Amino acid sequence: MSTTTARQSLLVRRGEQLALPFAWIAMIVFFSIKAPDRFPTTNNLGSLLGTQSALFIVALAALLPAMAGDLDLSLGFAGALGAMCMAVLNTQHDWGIVPSALAAVTIGAACGFLNGFVVVKLKTEPFIMTLGTGALFNGLLLLVADSNTITGVARSLSKWTYGTRVWVIPIQFFYALAIMLVIYWVAEHTPLGVRLLFVGKSRDVARLSGINSDRIRWGSFVAAGALAGVAAVVFVGNSGSMAPTAFSPFLLPAYAAVFLGATTIHPGRFNPIGTMIAVLFLATGIQGLRILGADDFAQFMFYGITLVVAVAGSRYLRGR
Amino acid sequence: MSTDQPSSGQATETALELHDISKQFGATRALDGVHLTVRYGEVHALLGENGSGKSTLIKILAGVHEPEPGGSLTVAGRPAPLPMPAGAFHDLGLSFVHQDLGLARPLTVLENLVGGAARGEHSRWRVDWRAETVKARRLLDSYGVKIDPRTIVNELAPVGQALVAIVRAADELRDCRERTGATSTVLVLDEPTVFLPEEELEFLFDLVREVVASGSSVIFISHDLAAVRTIADRVTVLRDGKVVTTATMADVTDEQIVEFIVGPAKSRELHEHGGHVRVNRMVDRMVDGSGPPQLAVAGLRGGRLRSLDLEVARGEIVGIAGLLGSGAEDIPYLLFGARRAEAGQVSIRGRPVPIARHQPAAAVELGFSFIPADRNRDGIAREIAVDHNMMLLVLQRFHKGGRLRNRSVRLAAGARAEEFDVRPRRTDLPIGSLSGGNAQKVVLAKWLATDPDVLLLHEPTQGVDIAARAQIYRTILAAADEGMSVVWVASDFEELARTCDRVLVLNNGWQTAELLGTDITPETITASVFAGQHASAARTTSP
Repeated sequence: MSTTTARQSLLVRRGEQLALPFAWIAMIVFFSIKAPDRFPTTNNLGSLLGTQSALFIVALAALLPAMAGDLDLSLGFAGALGAMCMAVLNTQHDWGIVPSALAAVTIGAACGFLNGFVVVKLKTEPFIMTLGTGALFNGLLLLVADSNTITGVARSLSKWTYGTRVWVIPIQFFYALAIMLVIYWVAEHTPLGVRLLFVGKSRDVARLSGINSDRIRWGSFVAAGALAGVAAVVFVGNSGSMAPTAFSPFLLPAYAAVFLGATTIHPGRFNPIGTMIAVLFLATGIQGLRILGADDFAQFMFYGITLVVAVAGSRYLRGR
Repeated sequence: MSTDQPSSGQATETALELHDISKQFGATRALDGVHLTVRYGEVHALLGENGSGKSTLIKILAGVHEPEPGGSLTVAGRPAPLPMPAGAFHDLGLSFVHQDLGLARPLTVLENLVGGAARGEHSRWRVDWRAETVKARRLLDSYGVKIDPRTIVNELAPVGQALVAIVRAADELRDCRERTGATSTVLVLDEPTVFLPEEELEFLFDLVREVVASGSSVIFISHDLAAVRTIADRVTVLRDGKVVTTATMADVTDEQIVEFIVGPAKSRELHEHGGHVRVNRMVDRMVDGSGPPQLAVAGLRGGRLRSLDLEVARGEIVGIAGLLGSGAEDIPYLLFGARRAEAGQVSIRGRPVPIARHQPAAAVELGFSFIPADRNRDGIAREIAVDHNMMLLVLQRFHKGGRLRNRSVRLAAGARAEEFDVRPRRTDLPIGSLSGGNAQKVVLAKWLATDPDVLLLHEPTQGVDIAARAQIYRTILAAADEGMSVVWVASDFEELARTCDRVLVLNNGWQTAELLGTDITPETITASVFAGQHASAARTTSP
């Protein structure tokens, strides 16, 4: 009796863990049948993985505060501010592309530092505070760009994003993959990762166990900001220009991926591999819909529905 | 008032009568044929130790617990249903103010008064705030309470909050009398004085007198003998679920009441000679107090603790007993840096502890371990596996070659689970799936893993079954034999009596007694706790 229920619950758990990967595979099969000459091609694979690399990195950025039990809604604007500064420095101030890119990452990290200060040090709600700092970063961005789209960023940057390929896959995807693996390593194979888990899951226990949870939370904000900067560099490398409203819309799909990722691999926990699978799931869906001729509205609907279903589904599974 | 009542003369005699009330919880007889009569217009105190049945009785009145069949309840001369249907006590003219007061603290006094009123006076669709403000002001005035209804409850002193809660309850009762024509109502105050400073109690007593004058009787539950002496007309003492006595306050001395509460000395002797020894001290330990103290505390203040001096020798187990609000429960948190201390000098093994900016991280570093009372919030991360919960403090030991050796963590946790008899032995399960006792064994294993010099305990066996409890005692005693000092705060006095070499008793933030060796029994601790009320009252009133 008890062994059968144990087996059943194990089955349920396995099913829960693998639901998203299976859904992803089902989606690939579906699109391959619907568009056999355009979807299952190496060309499409390269395009799919390449175009969504920036999103992948933003999702990993959003993952870090989530793992620490926080939320950073300013990441889109923080990255955009970094990207805009980079574009302006490179095109108007004769900075080389490497120092400009480093500036973008530094600015992202500085934004994260400010978030950490207001949320952790001043002990405020991350939801409303990062909404506020996000608006601040957006304002700074418009100021820096004088509300213009900056074009003409050094073409050499594209060599580092989509210009170089490993087999058919643009190199930028491997940046995201590497970042994901680093986060995975830290989370699973370092004492810091275990402490981060306690800070995210039971902050009181963490504090009473002598864990410096403030430093860990603040650090996750800074790292998230820096990663948003990296994502912004990749983004500009792809487009060659930076529009004031270009980067920030990544925030919603990034969080969709983070929450969707928490339903798989290690259900109930924000985890990097789950986040990657969720990004691939979203990217595949968007790419497939586009190939089938769907409009922009379908993309937003897909992101939105996925986010709502993922969060509601995981809440249902946990409450069961 | 009401004329349609056939026996109104008798009703004014007795406001509430409970007859032959019994209640069984598992093997425990929580209440055994309890009889309680509250007269019209009196303040009736209900006294007894923790676990004597007071709260069970009150919960039966409130409809939370069902009594065994056979008992009866009469309110204002009319029979009332038992078990009490949910929420029915409102219409019977009963109202309760519990220790937590039940106020929405971020809201204003006015909002609390309006929100709590389940009466049909104002429209369902619109609240006329101006009229409500005027009404609230008049209401507070009528009870002599000088509080602006626009104040946020949180900004009131604790006594102000208590007054608001009582006024709200009294207003409900007045409303009930008007609505149903009841001739009498009963207000139940469940430990209202616990968090109040001695010098402000007078405000509360004034209000209670106002409530009585307005036509209610009051059941006053308290541990505070001095308060009971001041306000109550009669007293009922419960012990082990039975009524020991009901008496007029003028007829009993405080000493007699304490004896009623803990049981007469004679019965205690009989108890022991009958081979039925209730206190079973685990070991008679020899503590070498000659060396310098392992933990030295002087003038520690913070939370409700006013001042504490304490020296704990190597291997010594010091218990701290006190009622809720005595400051005892603050001590481990202050020493561990989990609550901010206002003053004091603390040193551990001769090393000073920077008490003003003390932090848990520094405390762990200095050799403190701390097991908090609220296990589910502060002790365990329920969703995380047993092995990580157990090894959290010593993860660095398993960090080799830049990599956390998760397999070594699991193996070490498995060995500790064997040693501490954690069941099941599966250290990969989330700790939340373990029983309270087994989870607490994991917590103990976690905090002993650092080989602490001082172990701070706050209610370490709350929600722990008896078998696990014995195991936990044995483990702590064994660690103390190795030289660890223990500061043990618990409201279970039997636990302190079984394990401690010395017990300090606190009252209202001050130490009022110290018990040593064989003098430590649950009865002596209880007696000291109650007797100390006077000593501390004297201390606070004469500066």
